[in-house]
Amino acid sequence: MADSKYYGEFGGQYVAESLMNTLAELEKAFDEAIKDPEFIKDYMYYLKEYVGRETPLYYAERISEKYGADIYLKREDLNHTGAHKINNVIGQILLAKRMGKTKVIAETGAGQHGVATATGAALFDMECTVYMGAEDIERQRLNVFRMEMLGAKVHPVTTGSSTLKDATNEAIRTWAERAEDTFYIIGSAVGPHPYPKMVKEFQRIISTEARRQILEKTGKLPDAVVACVGGGSNSIGMFADFIDDKDVDLIGVEAGGLGIDTGKHASAMALGQVGVLHGMKTYLLQDDDGNIKLAHSISAGLDYPGVGPEHSYLRDSGRAKYVSVTDKECMEALLELCKVEGIIPAIESAHALAHVLKMAQGEYKGKTIIMCLSGRGDKDVNTVQKYLNGEETNK
Amino acid sequence: MNRIEERLAALKAEGKKAFITYTTAGLPDFETTKEIMFAQEKAGIDIMEIGVPFSDPIADGPIIQNASYKAIQNGASLAKVFDLMKETRTQGLKTPVVFMLYYNTVYHYGLDKFALKCVECGVDGIIIPDLPLEEQGELKKELEKAGDETILIQLVSPVSKDRIPKILDGARGFVYCVSQMGVTGKGANFHSQIREYLTEVKKESNIPVMMGFGIREASDVKPLLDIIDGAIVGSHFIKLLEENNYSNDAVIDYVSTFKKELNAD
Repeated sequence: MADSKYYGEFGGQYVAESLMNTLAELEKAFDEAIKDPEFIKDYMYYLKEYVGRETPLYYAERISEKYGADIYLKREDLNHTGAHKINNVIGQILLAKRMGKTKVIAETGAGQHGVATATGAALFDMECTVYMGAEDIERQRLNVFRMEMLGAKVHPVTTGSSTLKDATNEAIRTWAERAEDTFYIIGSAVGPHPYPKMVKEFQRIISTEARRQILEKTGKLPDAVVACVGGGSNSIGMFADFIDDKDVDLIGVEAGGLGIDTGKHASAMALGQVGVLHGMKTYLLQDDDGNIKLAHSISAGLDYPGVGPEHSYLRDSGRAKYVSVTDKECMEALLELCKVEGIIPAIESAHALAHVLKMAQGEYKGKTIIMCLSGRGDKDVNTVQKYLNGEETNK
Repeated sequence: MNRIEERLAALKAEGKKAFITYTTAGLPDFETTKEIMFAQEKAGIDIMEIGVPFSDPIADGPIIQNASYKAIQNGASLAKVFDLMKETRTQGLKTPVVFMLYYNTVYHYGLDKFALKCVECGVDGIIIPDLPLEEQGELKKELEKAGDETILIQLVSPVSKDRIPKILDGARGFVYCVSQMGVTGKGANFHSQIREYLTEVKKESNIPVMMGFGIREASDVKPLLDIIDGAIVGSHFIKLLEENNYSNDAVIDYVSTFKKELNAD
């Protein structure tokens, strides 16, 4: 399958017939934009002046010393709005403008992509509706309020499990109806082609900068690059420019929830079942009848039952490795980073960190590791507090 | 000849329009679904769509979403819908049956196994709303291997435009014209260009043209009967079933009335 709509057997366009011409238009517009120096100039302008890039590649000296590997943190948490999500939103919203759309819609889990989209919509004067599971609205009240402050409408989704997958269903349904004037800004590296490709290109900046920065700092490439994986947007951005560097290990960290063997987790790759959801063929959590299973994670941002199709391909081709860490391991790592480095990471990013700390004490002792610190943890302090008090944080 | 093709050829010979309904299987239970199927046959339904519930029905509006959700909660699965199908055929059901389901359900079941099972159980057609033409290759191959008895029904939408000839090329049974943008069950607010669109499909098509999405009564499609060959009712039928506590009499009354009005001059 040499068709660019696929990554090996994964990806594709599993959508209603009514969206096929919309996707074709989008693909054409994206392919033209990405080759247009004016478009790239605009994108880079906003990333620098508005988002605050480039972000530092911070050598985490104390944690490196304590755990025994050279650990560099790509500080996506320092972006405007507090996470990597804004990189992609700026790209897609510039594309939406270029295509003459006046409205944007988005799905959100933790609320980070919703906040980023609401931010971009305010900046570019677009009407914005964010679809969010009622369950997630409950878990992320502050982000809901943020979106509303930014002028977006938050549409609660109460169907199915009332989480990210259902919010995505509802956004797709709305898009199928209103594609004429509405652009659907997907926040993760998922969805029908060309979304996974688009999100990768708009998140590629993470690895483009990090690769240059590590060469400047150490004169060589890292031994490993690590990022957390929900749908897989920060990780695909973190991997992108390193994929051709065959000596650099690429490691994605999924949310293991209460443990893979408990069935309460969000590790789509762990059980290796291929299926079709949200317009793509990829690894999915599903039950014996092929219904999509609920993902479980303390982190709302990783609480997604699938994974971007390119990750499925990177896994099967052996180019990247995917592991999982539990809620407990992730919370320990989160608190460790707070205390040792004075950085409060997002719970999502703390998953990557938990694995990095294991790596540092094992196979990667004395080696150089870059980890994507995809977001800041301010949004999560309530969850952390509940967790420390022993209250229920995981549905 | 496939049951769908047979029935539609007979209707054409009589100069009649087809009436097609959609029922979610296993709602509220399989015994009731079976009764509804036989009641419809008695009332003269032309083709029955049987919905296999899926957890994430992205082409469906709230009514079918809820119906699917409830059916799953009550234990419905593709395997059980096949059992139901086999049982109804054994008990003498003659009406053409089309399964409406999402691709993950089929894919998870196994494409080869699915294709063989359709033939074994007497499923005449399948509609998969999230499987556009370009993604149909692997399933079509298995359907062919299984003897080409089960028809993969093609859908077109008001914005399909230049895709219409491509979609109709090799299409069998009937073509399903989606009447509006978005999901099922939004009422009869058809696309603003509905006549032009249906005319275009009819011109390109050498198989019957059916219209669905948003239809409740025969009067909804009356102004379009000079173009289309039949109408499909889904969400409204589910709503009617729920409101009438799945009464067979209500089913028979609705189906026979719709059929009569559809064919009244």
